Amino acid sequence: MKVTVDGIQVDLPAGTSAIDAVFHAGRDVPYFCAHAYLSPVGACRMCLVEAGTPRKGKDGEFELDEATGQPRVFWMPKPMASCTMQATEGMHIRTARTSDVVAKAQAGMMEFTLLNHPLDCPTCDKGGACELQDRAFEYGYGASRYGFDRRHADKHYALSDFIILDQERCIHCKRCVRYFEEVPGQEVLDFIERGGHTFIDTEEGGLPVGFQGNIADICPVGALLDNVARFRGRNWEYDHTPTTCTLCPVGCSITVDARNGRLERVVAGENRDVNELWICDAGRFGHVFATEERLTVPLVRVGGELREATWDQAVEAMRQGFLGHGGNVGLYLNADSTLEEGAALVALAEAIGTASLDHWPRYAHTPMSTATLTDVATADAVVVLGADLGEEAPVVELRILEALRGGLLPPEFAHGTAIADLRLTERPSRTPEKLAVIGRESRLWGHAGIRVAASGPDALTRLARPDTPELQAALRLLEGAGKPVLILGADVLNGADAAFSAALGSLAGRVGAKVLALPAGANSRGLGGLNLVPGAGGMPYARLDGVGAAFISRLDPAAQGLPGRARGFTVVHDTHLTATAGLADVVLPAVTGYEKRGTTINLEGRLLPLTQAPLRAGEGADLIRALAAVAEALGIRPPVRGLRGAQTWLEGRYGLRLAELPAGGLLQPPRPAQDAATGTAHTPNLWKPRMVPHPERRGSGVLGREARTELWELPMAPAPRPGGDD
Amino acid sequence: MNYFADKQLLVADIFSRYPDSPQGRRSALMPLLREVQDAEGFVSEARMAEIAALCGTTATEVRSVMSFYSTYHTLPTGRYHLQVCSTLMCSLAGSDELWDHLVSALDVQPGDVSADGRFSVQKVECLGSCGTAPVVQINDEGYYENVTRSKCDRLIAAMRADIPPLPDNPVPVTVREDGRQMTATGERVGASIHDRGPLPMPTRPGGEA
Repeated sequence: MKVTVDGIQVDLPAGTSAIDAVFHAGRDVPYFCAHAYLSPVGACRMCLVEAGTPRKGKDGEFELDEATGQPRVFWMPKPMASCTMQATEGMHIRTARTSDVVAKAQAGMMEFTLLNHPLDCPTCDKGGACELQDRAFEYGYGASRYGFDRRHADKHYALSDFIILDQERCIHCKRCVRYFEEVPGQEVLDFIERGGHTFIDTEEGGLPVGFQGNIADICPVGALLDNVARFRGRNWEYDHTPTTCTLCPVGCSITVDARNGRLERVVAGENRDVNELWICDAGRFGHVFATEERLTVPLVRVGGELREATWDQAVEAMRQGFLGHGGNVGLYLNADSTLEEGAALVALAEAIGTASLDHWPRYAHTPMSTATLTDVATADAVVVLGADLGEEAPVVELRILEALRGGLLPPEFAHGTAIADLRLTERPSRTPEKLAVIGRESRLWGHAGIRVAASGPDALTRLARPDTPELQAALRLLEGAGKPVLILGADVLNGADAAFSAALGSLAGRVGAKVLALPAGANSRGLGGLNLVPGAGGMPYARLDGVGAAFISRLDPAAQGLPGRARGFTVVHDTHLTATAGLADVVLPAVTGYEKRGTTINLEGRLLPLTQAPLRAGEGADLIRALAAVAEALGIRPPVRGLRGAQTWLEGRYGLRLAELPAGGLLQPPRPAQDAATGTAHTPNLWKPRMVPHPERRGSGVLGREARTELWELPMAPAPRPGGDD
Repeated sequence: MNYFADKQLLVADIFSRYPDSPQGRRSALMPLLREVQDAEGFVSEARMAEIAALCGTTATEVRSVMSFYSTYHTLPTGRYHLQVCSTLMCSLAGSDELWDHLVSALDVQPGDVSADGRFSVQKVECLGSCGTAPVVQINDEGYYENVTRSKCDRLIAAMRADIPPLPDNPVPVTVREDGRQMTATGERVGASIHDRGPLPMPTRPGGEA
């Protein structure tokens, strides 16, 4: 399909919207309501262009221009909104660059949009990264002719504890309303009132925690703001670090915004294959642990209490402590550590000659995963077995819901993801019958056509040999589908063994299903592939009291009710003074996942790069350097002393080339993990206690829920009810 | 307390007017709102949630639809709900002064109900009777036209005595209980599911304008 934009001819697939044609041709058009992953609605009317098409005459041939002999272009009488207009064969489009009519129409629309928009950019958190600000500068008149009072409304309206709405700033683009309807499938936000009185509100008593934070990202103005980051810095003051989230195995692309060494904000990054443009609320708001109550210097136990010390003193204390334990040392690390850190730990364990090394959380046996997240999003049947996705891998839930709305992946153009994919519609029809959920009740139940209450690993055997009508329906769903995906969660994987894998393989092979076994930790899949599990005679994480001396990196077994100390000597490497650190002999300061360079493998086996955000971590060191200190204390030369060394080690042993990863990651063929008993079950929990933000404590100036209630809902006055009319 | 619990027949009848699909169920929103408002004078939050559950949607959606129309009330209304047109024509003819007089005479503000439970007031947009401005509509009964100060006082006195005069003109088109539209003259307009068939066509000679 040939389309001409400002005289530039481009070749486009049929069904492309005019706005994508314009951007594909390298031209620009302003827009606020269109969004790459939402349906186009044409609400803001900013993307006006002039459009014209050739017309066929009675003889079925194009009517030709008498002067040039070319097909004559019949221009539409008025400028058209390009986001809702489909480009057609031979269409001609003129943007503001070549058409004065369009330039004037866009400037006029901009003036309308700005009529009621407050001029508080100097105090607005969006300032500097605001679509309205940028487009007003590029396409506006530069001055307003409106000499009257602007609309005044509530500027600090808390939609939830995380999201604050400034009703004056809202330009009614409806992105947030469409987001909630189309992406998480929760109709919790809508326009109230009409005309100039319109505002956004919910009637459900607050937005549901899960995926609400994304509306702060997609808001083109400063109306919806992240309350955790509110008033913490201006956009140009932040150090933006694109990295990968290590809170769950999805590995969402995020941008970490730090200022003065403090992590102030996390915003979603785009990775079309993994998280598209959405991240969960834990990933967005749960970053406060990275700046609060951090451990910044080593601690050494002197006379029964932990005292601040230097690294040299800590190494000396470790040298004393490790004496007499020989090779009876256990090395344990958190499963959100990078592959490089895992390599350093495996190399050190080999140098010491210990079989007690482990990562946590993990499962004793993990079946092979063959499905990617794109497979999930385009599947025609999804069966979720024993998974609480909200706790294990929230974004997988969004990808499943994407499959239920038809599995439409927006096409890619020269400018990236299609801005207006005309196949996406508002209030999409969903196909809940394509989703079966077997397991405990979770948020996904509301979207599933088939729900079966079950628990434990025998859910799979029951699915293979169904004994109830619902299970039979789930099996029929799998059998009748062309591209089914089977998703396995903690509830079934905790008790999984080789027999389970065999049963799973036979079922998946019979129905032609791809399997996605959700790993327990952010990088469990990668670390499992390094055989970072206890060898023969080695003690697993849950039995770390069985080793003489232990090094525990960023794990808190004492808080889990597991033994928190080795028999003789314990070194804890952590970012906070945890319960386990409180029991340790030496505590080394660590860095969080936001401050690391390295590589992680997500649940589909994709290598994703981590970059280091400039956060103040005191003397905190990543695991590779901490292990070098341990090696020094043990009196051996550390086999891996840095990131580059770890990457060389990984390339030499596993052929992984990690130095030059593409930004979107690289899919890695699956590597079977070695089985090893864990001794305890993994209970997924996304929000760790230190992640819960208290906006009031962070000085955002917004009162807590109790204080708000106290202030506004006086006991003698009836509670204010939503006003429908005046 | 559930409003529709003992009105299963009515609910079934309302739903029967729309396609039996999720989208169709949502269409029943407006008649259900109308039903509650006619019975209770306003739609409370509890009723919004109840209607949302019936239609398979959320209370937010119900409130969104409801707040779009000024004829639905979220706050209780009095026995006589006075709707004063405040759009241009009535405004030029003195509806602002009429409003001030009404509010001070009745001692009631929008959103409130007077102490005796009789009066509530509301400013509304154009009622379509610009030729007889200013216009006041009382409940859904009809229009009181050319409302001067003395006519306003007479009206208030009559309503205080609970003998309101007949409206000057009935509301042009109303929706009856069965969902059918009826003009003030009793003529049927629009279609209804209850008597499907061709609408009576005008049998005037000549072409149409």
